[in-house]
Amino acid sequence: MARLSERATAGEIEEVRVRTLGRSGELTLLMRQLGGLAPEERRDAGRLLNEIKQQIEARLAELKIRLQQEALRRAVAEPPIDPTLPGLGIRRGRFHPLTVVLEQALDIFESMGFEVAETQDIEDDFHNFSALNFPPDHPAREMQDTFFLGGGLLLRTHTSNGQVRVMESRQPPLAVVCPGNCYRRDELSVRASPMFGQIEGFMVDRVGAVTLADLKGVLGEFLRAFFGPRTNLRFRASFFPFTEPSVEVDISCLLCAGAGCRVCKQSGWTEILGAGMIHHNVFRAVGYDPARWQGFAFGMGVERIALLKLGVDDLRLFFENDARFLGQFPAAGLERV
Amino acid sequence: MRVPLGWLNELVSVEAPPAEVAERLTLAGLEVEALLRVEPAFSGVIAGRVTKVERHPNADRLSVCEVDAGAEGSFVVVCGAPNVRAGMVSAFARVGARLAAGAQDGAPAKENPGAVKPLEAAVIRGVQSQGMLCSERELGLSDDHAGIVELDAGAAPGQEVAALLGLPDTVLDVAVTPNRGDCLSILGIAREVAALFDGRGRLKRPPRGTFTELASAGTGAPAPLSVEIDAPALCPRYAALAMSGLQVARAPAKARTRLRLCGMRPVNNVVDVTNYVMLEQGQPLHAFDLDRIAERRIIVRTAGETHRRVLTLDNISRSLEPAQLVIADPKEVLGIAGVMGGLGSAVTATTSAIVLESAYFDPQAVTRASRRLGLRSEASRRFEYGVDRQGQVTALRRAAALLKGWAGARVLGPVVDAEVSAPAPREIALEMRAVGAMLGAQLKAAVVRRRLRAIGARLAPAGRATLRVTVPSYRADLAAVPDLVEEVARLSGFAEVAPRLPARSFASKRPERRRAMMRAMREVLVGCGLTEVRTLALVAADDNRRYPGRGFLSESAPCGPVGVENPLSAELAELRESLVPGLVRVLRFNLNRQAGAFHAFEVGKVFFRGHDGPAEGARVAAISYGPFAFEGPGGDQRSASFATLKGVCETLIQAFGLGAGLQFVAPGRGFSPTGAGGSATGEPALAVAVPFLHPRRSAFITRENRIVGLLGELHPEEALRLELDQPAVVFELDLALLLAYGLVSSARVEPPPRFPAVRRDVALVVSRETPAGEIVSEFRAAGPEALERAEVTDVYEGVQVAEGRKSVTLSCVYRSRERSLTDEEVNRMHAELTARVLSRLGAQLRG
Repeated sequence: MARLSERATAGEIEEVRVRTLGRSGELTLLMRQLGGLAPEERRDAGRLLNEIKQQIEARLAELKIRLQQEALRRAVAEPPIDPTLPGLGIRRGRFHPLTVVLEQALDIFESMGFEVAETQDIEDDFHNFSALNFPPDHPAREMQDTFFLGGGLLLRTHTSNGQVRVMESRQPPLAVVCPGNCYRRDELSVRASPMFGQIEGFMVDRVGAVTLADLKGVLGEFLRAFFGPRTNLRFRASFFPFTEPSVEVDISCLLCAGAGCRVCKQSGWTEILGAGMIHHNVFRAVGYDPARWQGFAFGMGVERIALLKLGVDDLRLFFENDARFLGQFPAAGLERV
Repeated sequence: MRVPLGWLNELVSVEAPPAEVAERLTLAGLEVEALLRVEPAFSGVIAGRVTKVERHPNADRLSVCEVDAGAEGSFVVVCGAPNVRAGMVSAFARVGARLAAGAQDGAPAKENPGAVKPLEAAVIRGVQSQGMLCSERELGLSDDHAGIVELDAGAAPGQEVAALLGLPDTVLDVAVTPNRGDCLSILGIAREVAALFDGRGRLKRPPRGTFTELASAGTGAPAPLSVEIDAPALCPRYAALAMSGLQVARAPAKARTRLRLCGMRPVNNVVDVTNYVMLEQGQPLHAFDLDRIAERRIIVRTAGETHRRVLTLDNISRSLEPAQLVIADPKEVLGIAGVMGGLGSAVTATTSAIVLESAYFDPQAVTRASRRLGLRSEASRRFEYGVDRQGQVTALRRAAALLKGWAGARVLGPVVDAEVSAPAPREIALEMRAVGAMLGAQLKAAVVRRRLRAIGARLAPAGRATLRVTVPSYRADLAAVPDLVEEVARLSGFAEVAPRLPARSFASKRPERRRAMMRAMREVLVGCGLTEVRTLALVAADDNRRYPGRGFLSESAPCGPVGVENPLSAELAELRESLVPGLVRVLRFNLNRQAGAFHAFEVGKVFFRGHDGPAEGARVAAISYGPFAFEGPGGDQRSASFATLKGVCETLIQAFGLGAGLQFVAPGRGFSPTGAGGSATGEPALAVAVPFLHPRRSAFITRENRIVGLLGELHPEEALRLELDQPAVVFELDLALLLAYGLVSSARVEPPPRFPAVRRDVALVVSRETPAGEIVSEFRAAGPEALERAEVTDVYEGVQVAEGRKSVTLSCVYRSRERSLTDEEVNRMHAELTARVLSRLGAQLRG
């Protein structure tokens, strides 16, 4: 006991404890011998030994606490860590910007009651062209230079095949968006790619229920949700074989807000998508009676809306996958504007 | 379609500035892509009548001319042009005039005149020249420098040449959609402008002489030629007009300027008339040399078997298909209908009599022919879009009037108008309420009627609230009620339609599970440190050879890659079988840009040619290269390895609740995709090794004995080819598997165990080749109910075990649901289990 100084280590304390109070410690052995003593001696010796034991225990506990306090003092007095050093572990990756944009667009459409249906990339002439009112040998087919696969098959030139695929297997009312990849014979360039994404959307209900005014309302809701609440839109007459009337939809230029700039060629407007009322011939091709049903359809390019949204001007960046480009997009997705 | 406003204004009067015209056309579906201001490249040049031409005293090739410049006076000018003659009116550049930049050096001018020094008086070979007579090149009109400009003989001397040429002018560049063939003409655009500016614009009446009165010219004369239509389906109408007494020369300068403004090259007055009328009226014309047509008989027929080739205007011998429409005489083919004329019957410098062809050819027939021959022209485009079914004779009359003025031609007999059957005017019954039902906006009946009249439709009432609408012949696109609704809407302006939202709630009845799962999958992979990439689904055939993706996964019996018949390039000739080659390419791309590490994944489709034709599959694949985790000061950095990517793969699989069902199987080991029975089931055969993966560091991922994915380092050979310094690891998984089996059952949830677990470790010495997974399986299979877990905690190979063997340490956890297990119980269970496994595996306990 006497050798146990104020500065005893944990090991020394333990050693003393074992030597005195342990199973075969000195004190323990002495206490075991108590049984051999006469009752009176036993009482006195027992009392003495217990006193000694309590003293030892108290002393050991005191030293232990002192030791712990010493350790705590040391622990908070250590030189500080450098909190500016990088953390360790796995670095989170990034979503591709086209995914972020597509998911955001689909979220908006789903919130408006559209279902999402994906259809096939490899198509036949009927679903990509004929059913969509592209007659054979019609110049409109050449607006979409097609990759052919042989055997009457081709790579779809637009996601409008989704209209046909869904309508021929189901009955109205329908509100569906069909995202997917399309293919046209365009070299990869600043503005075009042989493969690109589209979102086709359509809504069909009884004649008079889903009108051009509804198309305008739905697209307005979408475009404002996607590009910001101050986004204006206008309809411009156009031509697509599978819609009549057909319109191009322009939004107020995101850069100059309609004042006119280089990006919008001073017009204040940017072309964003094509749309229209579904052509009666499309309804006939899928077995719908045009006297009974009416609907609208629209289609937009995913890269196109992504370029506008992100303020990027070279479509090739999306397919190059340069880590320094991809790394710029926040992992949790883009905030709504 | 390029529309010079000077020309347009001859046909329509409109009180609006060009920018407004362009805006209205654009909103109405005729997008004006550009509004080009065309300025003359010269100034100070006036019309001058050459009154006298004498030979230069000191130079054989030069003339000394006297030029009457009207009020400006008379000038002596030295001129070297071969075509100068007394009486002609040419472009006279006074002293002080500015000519097109670079014109003197032989290059056509493009600069603005301000940059050029003004013309000075000069003494040429001893004779003073007070200005000069100009060629087209000197005026910056073309690179023609063969002679001086010849202006209309009626032009008054002293007038500004720019004004005589119709300059400056503004050209609208209009994008015409395939439904509006009628707008491939100045007249069509004029009609459109008149309709759009209803009230502020109207079509002009053509001045007298614009259309020659053929009736009087050819009355009583016998027809100078005959026309037979043998293929009425392909050519319902063919009108022809013969003219004679013409002189082939240049067309007037103003006409030549207009053709150029429209993007066409002037040739000679006859060809220029056909082009001019085509641009103005929309009806293509063709001129044959009348004297080259055998028996003066024109036969419109299919090429048939007898005529297999024709030499076209461009001096190329072209093959003909039997079903192709041609223009022929009794002897030979004169031209390919609507596409290109033959050289043999072409107008030449010596031609004095011609036949003008004005026909309606079937649009699809012309499209087929022009596409097959690779010949696209202004004429074929108009036929393809469809010309006015009734416009043939009007165009001939217009051409006849121009040829009379430009070439001195006389009409030779009446128009020969072969028409199989005149089409009835198209009538559409329009219920007034159909307009509102489609637009969702109520338009007044009067407005609807007014819009339809503006496009030239005739209206008659047909019962209550229904109109019988007769559409003009040039609007072939108007065939049904929606077409009329579109006309009303676009002329009124779509701004008239107020937006609204559908009354019905389309709230989705089918929760889209696939999307949610795809999103979850991307989240997991991004969280595991992989960045998403997107690559083209079109790859080189070589990519599919190197990275065959078929046969490994659960897609049905594929037998080859899907090739593109008309690829853009060899690099994009096939559809990918696997996502791996795209990932490898992106890895190499980033390493070339100094990336030290790259970890990416892609979700996308793959394609195979199966027994029933091309089929699609969906995959998720990843690539990992270089430092991956715990990088940084004090970090225990990990680089991409089989184990790190397997970790990602397991995390993904577990996130989908699929962990238990999947095995990682070394190639060629203990796995038969067809079960024990061989290949009778027609399942995809197991590839013994995946050619692009390291044979010793790769695995198949299987479920119920079918391959659903693969994982491994790229083959060292492939790494060498790609010049990779470190191993690149990839995995590819069948997406259908995750989507079909993942997250299906709602997992049963149990409360946490109430009694403590007891752990016992055991180290076994087994053959080096024994997979650890097999040992674990044995423990699990043979273990008592109380065995909760058996896991590998360490693998050792080295001096402490025999050559060719390894020590595998397992941790076994025992627990009962009913009570606390005693040490003795656990020791007994563990000893029995260990003994069973040792004997089954031929293993020893490590001493």
